[in-house]
Amino acid sequence: MDESKKRLVQRLMRKIPTKMLKTTLEKWGRLTGEQQRAMDSIQSKWALTENLLAICEENELAVKHLTELEMIYMIDNPDQGMWYAFQLTDPGDDAQSVDLTQFKEQFKSHLRELVREVSIKIKKHTDEAVWIRIAWGDASSHPDHLKPTYVVHYLQTPYVFVTRLTSKQKPMLSQAMVLSTRYQYFKDANLSGRNLTAIRDLLMRKYQQVFPTKYPSPLTERKQTVTNPHVEREQAKPAANRLQMACEAFGGGTLPQLQSAVYKLETKFRDHTNTLMTEREEPFRCVVKFSSTNLLESLKNCASSGIASTPVTPLLSSIPLKGKNYFVITDNGPGPSSQMRQTQN
Amino acid sequence: MSLLKPFSKLPGLNTANILLVESEEQFQQSLADGLVEETAVTVNVRLAKSLPLPKENEESRPRIDLVVFIINLTSELSFQSAEASLKYLDPGYFLGKVCFMVTNARNASVPTERLDAVRKLAAALHCPLLFAEDQTPDGVTNATKRLLSILKVSAGLVPMATALYLSSLTSCTVPPDIDQPSFD
Repeated sequence: MDESKKRLVQRLMRKIPTKMLKTTLEKWGRLTGEQQRAMDSIQSKWALTENLLAICEENELAVKHLTELEMIYMIDNPDQGMWYAFQLTDPGDDAQSVDLTQFKEQFKSHLRELVREVSIKIKKHTDEAVWIRIAWGDASSHPDHLKPTYVVHYLQTPYVFVTRLTSKQKPMLSQAMVLSTRYQYFKDANLSGRNLTAIRDLLMRKYQQVFPTKYPSPLTERKQTVTNPHVEREQAKPAANRLQMACEAFGGGTLPQLQSAVYKLETKFRDHTNTLMTEREEPFRCVVKFSSTNLLESLKNCASSGIASTPVTPLLSSIPLKGKNYFVITDNGPGPSSQMRQTQN
Repeated sequence: MSLLKPFSKLPGLNTANILLVESEEQFQQSLADGLVEETAVTVNVRLAKSLPLPKENEESRPRIDLVVFIINLTSELSFQSAEASLKYLDPGYFLGKVCFMVTNARNASVPTERLDAVRKLAAALHCPLLFAEDQTPDGVTNATKRLLSILKVSAGLVPMATALYLSSLTSCTVPPDIDQPSFD
């Protein structure tokens, strides 16, 4: 078996944890019953890898079959690695009527025109997502299957999610997407995270939204376990108000899991006591990064417990509102879409 | 300014009312659950995040016999919130009807200056300073028992003992060398 295939199998086996291996191989369906049983009985990873290499020889499996296996695993476990969101803008007249087969054919042909050596695999998942696996090559080398790019696009929406993409590959992907979906531009949506499901839910607003109402029904506080008539909370109403405002800003129920939010400040230094810094003409460049295992949940908690003042500042509430987690803040008024007015201290 | 006054309302029969003020609103909940289990006396617990208390509850609020400020030593915000709430209490409360309860004193990340500051505050106001452990059920039970004994005296339910008398015995004191650097 040639080196590149061997390395691919080894890479795959490193990626797939042993407990997911059985189901993934079953879904792949390229093993006979006997081979599958043999795989199930082995415990150690190294032995599993050797066995799989032997099976690939036996069944004469090609690289394209192995990439199928990788894709199956990725589709079932999308919440790994880093995903970056992109948005398609300025739809043409027929953007809404692009259907799956049309998109597949057009995408493949456009990308093949731009990149000579490229390996493309397209699969439609049950939840309307189109998964594309791209292995890039160039004039002098075969497609590199060890560093593929995965692209997930929901047809009829302008959202595209991409894993690793180098700056050389980006314009080609961008051109292929734009031509096959009939939009004008393929722009960075300034949103990234480890969980594909989380950034998708955030952009498409698939989590519980709480809307301001004039006559709110009594809000049952989640923290309140008091039913005893002898115990009474003095400030139950302000607490309920804070909780309501936090939910309006961030949403109710389970929130999409974001890991970080980055604010790049290009504003002038403001501090009355420090004239040396305020005298400078250039903006004071500074980057503020918030990180957490579940950023939106912790920000919501800050607002509902009173640590962050309510109503929630637009700097924080625009994370779910605009579906971004990278902001550039300048002193001027609202500029291009990625900039925001700075709040007064 | 809406001060909380100690003697502006009539007391209830065999009743003691306690107000727990805590910025984090965590420990006060478990303390409340323990306090109401007392059978000899009817204990009413009011929970607040900080003072001043909302005006709407003025009518329904009973006479508060003991105000307890719960300070989490790992949080500067907790201490500042408690300090800021002090000025909304009528001075009459400081004659034995205020108590400070401090949690996480053994935590290594707590700066010694904060505990010293709490000590000085309690000593200046002639109030007792209790240390509590809030993570285990035993710790909560112990804290509840100690609060109950002070509460019964403050509510006038213990014969021959008044709040002022008890506080003169239990109030916090600072050693004269508190500002000297310690050798750790």
